Amino acid sequence: MPQPGARDLRDIRFLDPAVIAKLGTMELKARTVVEGFLSGLHRSPYKGFSVEFAEYRQYLPGDDLSTLDWKVFARSDRHYVKKYEEETNLECHLLVDISASMAYRGAAAMSKMEYGSVLAGSLAFLMNRQRDASGLIAFDEKIAFRLPASARRGHLHTLLVALERLTAARRSDLGRPLHQLAEALVRRSLVVLISDLLDEPEPIIAGLKHLKFKGNDVIVFQVLDPNELTFPFEASARFTDVESADAITADPRSIREAYLGELGNLKQHYDRELRGVGVDYVQLDTSKPLDFALLAYLAARSRRK
Amino acid sequence: MAFLYPAFLIGAVAIALPIVLHLLRRDIAPEVPFTAVRLLRRSPVERVHKRRLKDLLLLAARVIALLLLAAAFARPYVRGAAPAPVRVVALDRSYSMGGPQRFDRARALARAAIEDASSSERVAFVAFDDRADVLAMPGGKGEARAALDGTTLGFGATRYSAVFDKVLEMANGATGRLILVTDLQPSGWNKEGAPVLPLGWEMEVRDAGSVGENLTIEAVTVDAAAVAATIRNSGRTPRSGRIQVTLDERGPEAAGADFTVAPGQASVARINWRAPSTGALTVSVDDPVGLAADNSRYVVLGARQTPKALVVGAGEQSGLYLSRALETSRTEDVDVVTSARLASMTPEEVSNYSTIALLTTRALERKSRETIAAQVRAGSGLFIAAGSDLDISVVASMADWQPALSAVEHGQGPPVTLAATDVRHPIFRPFNALAVNLGQVRFERSWRVAPEGWSVIARFSNGSPALLERTLGRGRVVLFASDVDRQWNDFPLHPGFVPFAIETARYLSASGDRRQVRDYTVAQAPPGIGPAPGVFRTADNRTVAVNVDPAEGALDRMSAEAFAGKIQRNDAAGTVQQAQARDTESRQSYWQYGLALMLLALVAESFVGRA
Repeated sequence: MPQPGARDLRDIRFLDPAVIAKLGTMELKARTVVEGFLSGLHRSPYKGFSVEFAEYRQYLPGDDLSTLDWKVFARSDRHYVKKYEEETNLECHLLVDISASMAYRGAAAMSKMEYGSVLAGSLAFLMNRQRDASGLIAFDEKIAFRLPASARRGHLHTLLVALERLTAARRSDLGRPLHQLAEALVRRSLVVLISDLLDEPEPIIAGLKHLKFKGNDVIVFQVLDPNELTFPFEASARFTDVESADAITADPRSIREAYLGELGNLKQHYDRELRGVGVDYVQLDTSKPLDFALLAYLAARSRRK
Repeated sequence: MAFLYPAFLIGAVAIALPIVLHLLRRDIAPEVPFTAVRLLRRSPVERVHKRRLKDLLLLAARVIALLLLAAAFARPYVRGAAPAPVRVVALDRSYSMGGPQRFDRARALARAAIEDASSSERVAFVAFDDRADVLAMPGGKGEARAALDGTTLGFGATRYSAVFDKVLEMANGATGRLILVTDLQPSGWNKEGAPVLPLGWEMEVRDAGSVGENLTIEAVTVDAAAVAATIRNSGRTPRSGRIQVTLDERGPEAAGADFTVAPGQASVARINWRAPSTGALTVSVDDPVGLAADNSRYVVLGARQTPKALVVGAGEQSGLYLSRALETSRTEDVDVVTSARLASMTPEEVSNYSTIALLTTRALERKSRETIAAQVRAGSGLFIAAGSDLDISVVASMADWQPALSAVEHGQGPPVTLAATDVRHPIFRPFNALAVNLGQVRFERSWRVAPEGWSVIARFSNGSPALLERTLGRGRVVLFASDVDRQWNDFPLHPGFVPFAIETARYLSASGDRRQVRDYTVAQAPPGIGPAPGVFRTADNRTVAVNVDPAEGALDRMSAEAFAGKIQRNDAAGTVQQAQARDTESRQSYWQYGLALMLLALVAESFVGRA
């Protein structure tokens, strides 16, 4: 898998959340991300994944020269072009956490919700170009919105509009919706979970394992704000939970180390538990470009093929 | 628990201020929304609690240490139980309380004051005239009654402040009441500043009344041909009678004369009679309705009546200011002589002068210098004033002073002024607060005297000694480092010059030959004599006359309200209580324990801090 560090900075700037946040619609955001991402790759992942050879046809002026079959030309001295039949064999469900904690925006240009929505939209855009079916499920403590997976024309627009209209409000309880979804999916699918995963980990892990047990491919994107990742506060403050009335007065300098340790332990726990069952787990920083997420998706997609 | 210096406790409050602010600041920590409070609350929360506890311990240790430090500086002590109130009954026993039945009435008033005391009061009894004697310390009524019964009329004059001094001593932190039984003579305040009554004390004056008429022999002079007596009539009616002279107090009349004195006036009765050259005589009048003690006055014959001063100047004008100043005192006869005249005087003639003022050494013969030095060693006083006519080396050669007297003339720079170094010195004491006025005198020239071997009484504003003194034999020498002839300064034109000259001469004349003093008041009588008027022989075989203070014979009276107005009621008396508090605190020394505990708190703080 190509590393982001090997890419041109000129390409990365199109994936910068600070730039993307200033764009208008979700469609534009998703398109910008995907186009910027794909332009940075040396080889399009689009080819070779979802197209199959169908037949030869006589070359007609105007055809793409790249589709000419030069071997046939050498044998028969005639120009034939290859015709491909596109097929959709992937169904992807984008699970977006819309609990109140996802609305948190610290020092980054986008909230976790916005970042996750752009990520979901980008993935949907990418899948649409690959003729894969994509669906959307938004949930907090229960499933709040569901858009079945489809590769039909116009479905992408519906999905992107739905993403744009998502609002975060309630507490999260990821375990239950995951189990519901695992039971609901009748076809093996790719499930992409976008959440901050700050709830109790065990119910979430159990739900993800359930999905995996049902034969689905699962990718988990844990979206965190830089404030959550580095805890940069200096002055003593009363830290109030955005989802509950829970609060704690603390001196950040004295508890930073312990907090970061706890966060590291949480990441390690997810990593160990999820990778053990073949679930991809990627932690994302909302201040960082989105290519990590897209590359992780492509890797999972290739494994599935 | 009390504190000797409670102001230091304010420091503790000031130290606590940042701590309070710190705590307040913690309470108003801003609210910050966050998502991972669950993670904060896991182990970090416990650590915060632990740290908070540790912080509290540290804070407590530091606050305790600081409080102990402040308390140690405030010097704590434990006061004893509040003493019972004191009732001081003070009875005036001055001779003005005499007269028919008057002292008995005064005693009755004092007795009533004692009996009025409540059971919770401690009663003290004080008898006073020139001095106050505590005849019964604060205690039961019986002791006070017994002391009162043993009190007799005295011959002293009234001095009220002596009573208040005793009250300050006895108050000892207690509240109380002072009951004065007196005839309210204003003369009792004449020489006194306003006395102080301790806070928490009340004063009550019980008027013993006054006699209506009185004759006082104020003074007696004896010359070769007559005896003259000054008789004052303090009553409201003219008085006449006969004044008589006896050679023995109880002997027959040696001479006499009739007199008449108008009311409130004094008259000199002259008795043409040649008194013997030695011995003593008594001059008396008959005054059956007045005070008895001032009806007689005793005189030692042959006694030098007034001290004499000899001013040695350089010419007619030299010593003029000084001699004129001394003559105003009327107690000092002054002769001004030149060095040439001094050389012709015999040592016996010089010995008649109790004070010699040396203003010049010009033409001062060696014999004269030796005469002066011998006279000073015998008890006379010597006043030396610097000036252009005085050679310091000649002065230095008059006596074998070690180290030798040395001085340099100084006339450069701006004028300097005078400041008394020791305002309690007899020369400056009468000036009281007015001594600062001497600072208005401008000195253009002066001597810079090396003060080794001398006591500096006053200095110029440039720090060099201005007035110095030392003893020589039985006499005293006072050296003034500028002149008294208005050549180097304007001192003779200054109002302070006359009292300065008089007090200096008085100080020097009283320096050595006290055998010359033969007339005392009862209060000033030498040890072992009196306290009663009469003619006595002292332990050193002198015949002295002791008389009552004639001022006490005046019948002036003041109201009780005016009397009370003389009393200060500020807490100057607190000085006694403070001294007692200091003594108590010094004995208890709790501050040491405070500092030890503070060190312990700091050690604990360091342990907690490291944990």
